[in-house]
Amino acid sequence: MRLEKCWFCSSTVYPGHGIQFVRNDAKIFRFCRSKCHKNFKMKRNPRKVKWTKAYRRLHGKDMTQDSTFEFERKRNRPERYDRNLTEETLRAIKKIDKVRAEREARHIARRMKGKKGKELKEARKELEQSISMVKPPALLKEDPSLTLPKIQVKVAQSQAEKNQPMEE
Amino acid sequence: MGGKCPHRSVKKRRYSHKTARRTKFLINGDDMVYDALKKPEVERPSLPVDEDLPGMGQYYCLHCDRYFANVSVRDEHFKTKRHRKRVKLMMGPAPHTQLDADLAAGMGMPDNGPKLMAM
Repeated sequence: MRLEKCWFCSSTVYPGHGIQFVRNDAKIFRFCRSKCHKNFKMKRNPRKVKWTKAYRRLHGKDMTQDSTFEFERKRNRPERYDRNLTEETLRAIKKIDKVRAEREARHIARRMKGKKGKELKEARKELEQSISMVKPPALLKEDPSLTLPKIQVKVAQSQAEKNQPMEE
Repeated sequence: MGGKCPHRSVKKRRYSHKTARRTKFLINGDDMVYDALKKPEVERPSLPVDEDLPGMGQYYCLHCDRYFANVSVRDEHFKTKRHRKRVKLMMGPAPHTQLDADLAAGMGMPDNGPKLMAM
């Protein structure tokens, strides 16, 4: 049993699923579902469609270089069956899967870092700039409850500078 | 040549317009054209005389996979936006293949085993 990958979205095509198209130059195109098949027929480029793996890889959304990607391969020459090797492989699969999941989570966490601060900064700026849409500026002067509190800046140093000439 | 089917009136919308789009299905895929363009010009097959094709099949545009009636029409085609867009596309990165899909899915390069015969 061979688990193929979908030509369009790179998901796994299990036996009995999807459809396959053989072009007149004997090239095989496998599709996991009709969605992918239709997108292929519309001549869409998977690198430009945001939900495909090809797009996500190309644009740094997913992890690209990792040693866990070396295990799953298309093996065109079958190995002789070896019970010990099979047992070990089955045990290793679980561990490799775990490692990969952890690394992927770390990659996403790294990618999302700084996002919250950025959003907060943008929101603060928008509030400052367009508060006049909620209340006209004239009203705000009377009732400053809707404006942001002024950020306090330390002025200790400037005071010290002011004091110096007075001492002289 | 391909494109959307032109019959948008309510009455004609009921009919199948697959035949109108037939030429779109018949033209070569992007990867086939890309591979053909990669070959040096001497290796490209010479155009055989075919009386079924426009201009006896002598005036061909490799990028768009189209035959033209004569030289002037073909040269006019070379100036069109559609053709120039296609040329630009073919100058860019190689089209998506099954290998790209496999790599994106987290697979390694195909393993063909050790070489059986010493070359």
